[in-house]
Amino acid sequence: MTKDAGYWYLASYPKSGNTWCRVFITELRRLSGESEQEELHLNQDISTGSIASSRLWLDDQLGINTCDLSFGELDPLRGNAGTSQWVFAEGERFHKTHDAFRSPDSRGRPVVSTQGCNGVVYLLRHPEDVAISLSNFFSWPIQRCIEFLIDSEAALIPSMRHGGGQVRQHMGRWDQHVRSWADQSILPVLTIRYEDMLGNAQETFTQLAQFLGLPSDSNLIEQTIINTSIEKLQTLEAKVGGFAEKPKGCDRFFRSGRSGEGAEQLSLEQRQRLEESLSATMKRFGYTGPTNQ
Amino acid sequence: MTLKSDIALPDLTEINEESPEIEHIEIRNTDHTAWPLLLDPNQHSTPCIKMVHQEWRLELEGIGWFRATNGQTLEWERWDDSVSDRDIRTFLVTSGLGALAIQRGELVVHGTALERDERAIALLGHPTTGKSTLAWCLLQQGWRLISSEVTVIKADRTIPLGPQQIKLWHDAAQKLGIEAVNLPLVRRGLKRYRITPPAQSLATAPTPLSAIYILNRSTNGDANNKDTLLGKIKVSEALNQQSGLLALRNQAFHARFYRGMNTEARLFMQATGCVRSTPVHRLHLPDDIQVMSEGLMQMDLLNPASPSKPEPGEREPFND
Repeated sequence: MTKDAGYWYLASYPKSGNTWCRVFITELRRLSGESEQEELHLNQDISTGSIASSRLWLDDQLGINTCDLSFGELDPLRGNAGTSQWVFAEGERFHKTHDAFRSPDSRGRPVVSTQGCNGVVYLLRHPEDVAISLSNFFSWPIQRCIEFLIDSEAALIPSMRHGGGQVRQHMGRWDQHVRSWADQSILPVLTIRYEDMLGNAQETFTQLAQFLGLPSDSNLIEQTIINTSIEKLQTLEAKVGGFAEKPKGCDRFFRSGRSGEGAEQLSLEQRQRLEESLSATMKRFGYTGPTNQ
Repeated sequence: MTLKSDIALPDLTEINEESPEIEHIEIRNTDHTAWPLLLDPNQHSTPCIKMVHQEWRLELEGIGWFRATNGQTLEWERWDDSVSDRDIRTFLVTSGLGALAIQRGELVVHGTALERDERAIALLGHPTTGKSTLAWCLLQQGWRLISSEVTVIKADRTIPLGPQQIKLWHDAAQKLGIEAVNLPLVRRGLKRYRITPPAQSLATAPTPLSAIYILNRSTNGDANNKDTLLGKIKVSEALNQQSGLLALRNQAFHARFYRGMNTEARLFMQATGCVRSTPVHRLHLPDDIQVMSEGLMQMDLLNPASPSKPEPGEREPFND
């Protein structure tokens, strides 16, 4: 791999399949001989790249302690980070991000670097299922997750009262997040629905591998899908005693992986509230709410 | 380093000596458009940082321009009139002085240094690893602050005086029981405070270094580490020289600055010399500040050869 190989973003609203996608890429590279790991190890191997909100990375790129900047000062600068990312992340080229492509503070600029970037895989999932998964992940009541999904100010690490390894990541409403990536015209984008990763895995993951310039031989893709099934990941998580990206209070990271849980577990009122707020984008990507069922 | 500055630097110790023998480094406001063009910046430059040998420039949109040259001068210009002196000195005293010290051949690390009984310890870790919180706890136990955030380790293993203010986030200040209402902000708009310890808690002279600690803060990612879950403060055995060297190199103050100014080889040599004569330990900090503070009282950080022993049946968490 050369410096000219460029890099990609794996972008998503949280709990929409980003980690699964990174595990898939890791395993695909292992099976194809691109990496030398003997077996997939969740807490050692799935570092496919940096997270675009990494404070360490931003500090390195900007030459300062980013704790000394406000959100309004940092967001416009973030797009400048990454052009020399090879120094920091040698050999890593698939960078995760949960940020919306632009933030209200970024002065219309992308909050991620676009220079040298080959493209973005945008992963999305039915917002009703995202609500259930968020609830499990953050240990939040479901109603709070519903409000979060339709909050135009929603962000990860939104507080200015403490620092942390990652900077604030503005996401906005679920539909704003989706459109910020799907409709931007700076980077080539491949939009993948979580439901297609589940229901039409061979075709979807082949598309993913081809877009990322990874080996896409059908047998290889098939074996990778088998090795990274939710059941296999649950077993691996149990084996390592908990996935490193699992927060406190969350029993297990790889929980059910199913689609349709939202429709089963949310109240009609909660589903209606999501649909009322997000309907245009839901329809655009083939998601139905209670009205059409 | 002694500095002659046209902008007030309350983070640093003021001296009133006027001696021709003292070499002053000049910090001055200049017009950045008059700075000579950098035609061929080093490959480690970024859109914000431009570097060649003995030349470092930082452009911070909305704040200002900064330039360190030949280890002798540090220039600055504010972006516009809305930028305060406080804004400028926040970056002068950290990135600016760090770059200048690197140009002067110093080993500069992300760290805070404290003194007790005329011996120093260095607490190293990138921003948000808990250096300031730990330093505050130690100050309450009689230690004195030598340098915060940017620390120089001299070739003779002494730590010179550096910035003597501690920056604390609002939440950390609250947990430490510090009344935040009247504390000065690091910068306007931030919920982060700049605390100057009382005079008796400030070191007044360079101090020989006794031990280096690499900080590890408890995070969610430590979920598999049972020791972490117990929330105890732990000191590792001294790292072997290779691990110590790697750990120290990883805490170099903006490693990119060393690369960009072609001084990385010197960094390795200095770090090698340092780990040969000074023990390097990992210090695991619990997330609970109260537990941290109580744990520190049971420890002798000046004599890390006798770290706290694990209890029977407990696994030693570090095995470098």
